[in-house]
Amino acid sequence: MKYETIVGLEIHAELKTKTKIFCSCSTKFGSRPNENTCPVCLGLPGTLPVVNEEVINLAVKAGIALKCKINQISKMDRKNYFYPDLPKAYQISQFNLPICKDGYIEINSKEKIKKVRLNRIHIEEDAGKLIHSENEAYSLIDYNRAGIPLIEIVTEPDLRSAEEAVAFLKALKEILEYCDISDCKMEEGSLRCDVNISLREKGSSKLNTKVEIKNLNSFKELQRAIEQEEERQRKLYALGEGHKIIQETRRFDSSKGETVSMRTKEDINDYRYFKEPDLLPILIRNEIIEKAKESIPELPNEKRERFKNIYKLNEKEIEIIVGDRSLAKYYEELVNKGVNAKIASNWLLSDISRLMNENKLTIDKFPVRPDRMSKLLKFVESGKINNSAAKEVLEEMVNKLSDENPEEIIKKRGLIQENSVEKIKPIVEKVLKENEKVVEEYKNGKKQVKGFLVGMIIKATEKKANPRVINEILDEILM
Amino acid sequence: MKITIDEIKKISSCAKLIFKEDELEKMTRDFEKILNNFDTNDSLNLEDINLDNFDRVNSEFRKDEIEVFKDKKKLFRNTKSMREENIEVPKLIE
Amino acid sequence: MEIEKLTALEIREGIIRGDFSCEELVKKLYKRIKVVDKDINAYLTLCEEKALEDARKVDEKVKNKKILGKLAGVPIAIKDNICTDEIKTTCASKMLEDFIPPYNASVIKKLKEEDAIIIGKTNMDEFSMGGSTENSAFKITKNPHDLERVPGGSSGGSAAAVASGIAVLSLGSDTGGSIRQPAAFCGVIGLKPTYGLVSRFGLVSFASSLDQIGPITKSVKDCALCLDVVAGYDPKDNTSSKSQETISYLEGIDAGVRGMKIVLPEELLSQDINVEIKNAIEESAKKFKELGAEVEYIPLSVFNRGLSSYYIISSAEASSNLGRYDGIRYGYRTKEFKDVYELMVKSRSEAFGEEVKRRIMFGTLVLSSNYYDDYYKKALKFRGNLSREFKKIFEGYDLILSPVTLDFPSKIGEKKSNSLEMNFGDVYTSNVNLAGLPAISIPCGKSTNGLPIGIQIIGDHFSERKILRAAEAFLGGAKV
Repeated sequence: MKYETIVGLEIHAELKTKTKIFCSCSTKFGSRPNENTCPVCLGLPGTLPVVNEEVINLAVKAGIALKCKINQISKMDRKNYFYPDLPKAYQISQFNLPICKDGYIEINSKEKIKKVRLNRIHIEEDAGKLIHSENEAYSLIDYNRAGIPLIEIVTEPDLRSAEEAVAFLKALKEILEYCDISDCKMEEGSLRCDVNISLREKGSSKLNTKVEIKNLNSFKELQRAIEQEEERQRKLYALGEGHKIIQETRRFDSSKGETVSMRTKEDINDYRYFKEPDLLPILIRNEIIEKAKESIPELPNEKRERFKNIYKLNEKEIEIIVGDRSLAKYYEELVNKGVNAKIASNWLLSDISRLMNENKLTIDKFPVRPDRMSKLLKFVESGKINNSAAKEVLEEMVNKLSDENPEEIIKKRGLIQENSVEKIKPIVEKVLKENEKVVEEYKNGKKQVKGFLVGMIIKATEKKANPRVINEILDEILM
Repeated sequence: MKITIDEIKKISSCAKLIFKEDELEKMTRDFEKILNNFDTNDSLNLEDINLDNFDRVNSEFRKDEIEVFKDKKKLFRNTKSMREENIEVPKLIE
Repeated sequence: MEIEKLTALEIREGIIRGDFSCEELVKKLYKRIKVVDKDINAYLTLCEEKALEDARKVDEKVKNKKILGKLAGVPIAIKDNICTDEIKTTCASKMLEDFIPPYNASVIKKLKEEDAIIIGKTNMDEFSMGGSTENSAFKITKNPHDLERVPGGSSGGSAAAVASGIAVLSLGSDTGGSIRQPAAFCGVIGLKPTYGLVSRFGLVSFASSLDQIGPITKSVKDCALCLDVVAGYDPKDNTSSKSQETISYLEGIDAGVRGMKIVLPEELLSQDINVEIKNAIEESAKKFKELGAEVEYIPLSVFNRGLSSYYIISSAEASSNLGRYDGIRYGYRTKEFKDVYELMVKSRSEAFGEEVKRRIMFGTLVLSSNYYDDYYKKALKFRGNLSREFKKIFEGYDLILSPVTLDFPSKIGEKKSNSLEMNFGDVYTSNVNLAGLPAISIPCGKSTNGLPIGIQIIGDHFSERKILRAAEAFLGGAKV
């Protein structure tokens, strides 16, 4: 019996707004407990919610970026349940008229492009945070997170494996980050993913009982959780015990490496949804949609295509550079300023990345901006300086925080590459004379000693000689 | 329309309220009465009322600008148990 | 000065003229409260110190010839479900017995900006659920016209305070008649504004789509003056209306009713209604005719049914609005609990009164999945239809007259054991809330044993001006 895995995802992403969805408290992460609270998000008697316009803007933007249809009229609903982290005993969410519906993301699956359909995107408020201490008899509640704006993205059950699920989530994360809709930091909780998974016999069109898995904090956990649950269900079906698979919520226990049944929050999950009477239905004007469309940058997939076709970068290079929007921006500025595409890519992925890591900098905080960097790289390209000299200049600009122009540093350090054959030839001849034995070895077939000779020559020229010219002269002489 | 006392018990669990048995029984009967009254009133044809047709909608929203409620002491003055800056409750097992 | 006889307008004028100081006035009022309220029990909290401080500020302003607010010096009582910064706001419930809000309701802010003096918080039915103020966890308020009878509810304290001259003006709230019914029972004027005209920010919600704050006053002009101050769009309340009026409600209030088309329900003539009330209504209809209006009795099916729908919708919203009271962040907390769930369940069960718990249960039931479609959804459709019907009526007519209640206030304690079996007559008031319409209750007579009778004037959305004109014409500018 062959079984196929059916997976659907429910993703919550925190929107990058300054204030909460229904009140003007700050959304800043890492504040002191209950620092970002007010009567509204605490649900004090008499308080009322008011919708943040940026939440609407970002939700619409997300909808457009994910190829959804925007419901220009949508409404908020109350989802009623009791839990200490929920101040009003209801969450203001959207039930049957969400802001966006349909949509899709394309992922690479088994060498092909697969369209994963989205069912809907809606906006809602987050709940507070409960902290349970290990050894104490109490739990603590911090309401900073209560009221943080979320979009919930629900896929159709189009995914067929853990790999596809991870690919999808990565692609979604990339798009949301690119569009500045969310930080998408799974470690910080600004991107959360729940899984719905069921198995069915290959060829069947019926859907079997699905199980929900929550509490996944990384791509790795997402992958492992799906694989583990797949196994668990497959085993049960194989034993004819498929009925033991009940519709329930499980959580992934990373230490055990398996999914574990959760005690449900609400025994009766009757949320008694009804239209939120404190908020008028939302009308999204055409201007909002237009503005959102204009604010969407070139999306990652499109950028990847373009980089492949125009800059002729390889897949690995594209993955790294396009994977970070700021890196891609920096790269393109270099190229736009006249740097050769390959040279720009090489330098970005080697020395610049190394210096970024050493100094714990993101590309946005990298002290050498495309302006200076492009000048430096054009000097390399034109042969004015050689690679190692350029590295020296770069290191000075980064580590010494020098804000001098490359030319100034090159001049200061006397790094201008020597290209003239007349100047270099005498030195080559001198070095060869001093190393007659090595020359003999070369002429006798030991070709690798050439490198040694080149090195000696470079040293003798105080690193200034153009290695290409050295090689040409050497070849001529040794011929 | 018949409501069972079990349904009412489930409702009380939903609403986080506890009642004595006789209170629950009385409520069951009372609610039945009201709902039956509603049923008999129901001679109107309400087919053409579309609840998703809204007569008031809103297209202007709050500006995304931070306002701080400064006096946190006042804000939490009515809370019975604070531990440092958090609200304390008996340990929850999740 | 006889404080109990003065209207807000008279007080403001008197202070400006220098007839008396605000401080004097407020002091006198508190003296009177100490005597009168012993019998009436209208107030739950008095803010004497703060009130005197505010009164002195007003006197300073007068002395320095500064511009005075529209309600300068006017002592106002506030129903205890409207949040007042630093002043206990209990909703007459054990659940909020010691709750002190850290902020002011928007209407309070507006009153203070116009130099009003907040005297104290008044008694009410717990969380506004009830029609007699007997559902208060703390006190029983008495009807000033007959101390053995209820003042009505849920704004019983506010109405009784004005009626007994221990407040010049008060704010109440109305979800199904809670301003108009006590106003009628106490013989004063009570206005429920159009839904959305007055901000609900700071009003402790009972049923969000029905609640409105409104004035209870001794004169129609005071009512208009108060409305001038409290009405208007509030960005903090998304349901508040943006259609702004910049002209005072006092403008044109004396224009009379000549040419107005007024209707009464024909059904009234055969209804099960106390005969004295019926006669008073019929006499009032004749009076409007004499004043120059065209008055007709027409079939008004809008008042034939709707109580169940009102009950279903208001209870549903209330069951959700009252979920936040769980003892965790504020409010009553039970003494012994072994876990969070017990904390929540016991706190709620111990602190909420019978009526409140019943409505929460009923509301939870009608929203539950097995009942939602047949009851809640249907009630919403009924409501939609009702609004449509009212709209049709107002296309052809200016105002509707109706009784406020079908009977007189019950004796204290006589309350029906099953209060869910509401008086059929409540449909006159609650259908107005379902349709979001404005309506005023004004005195139109007295019973043979001296109990006031109220008549209701209903208008189309945002027609408060018309309603106030009609009320003023009817009362001939008199104060009650």
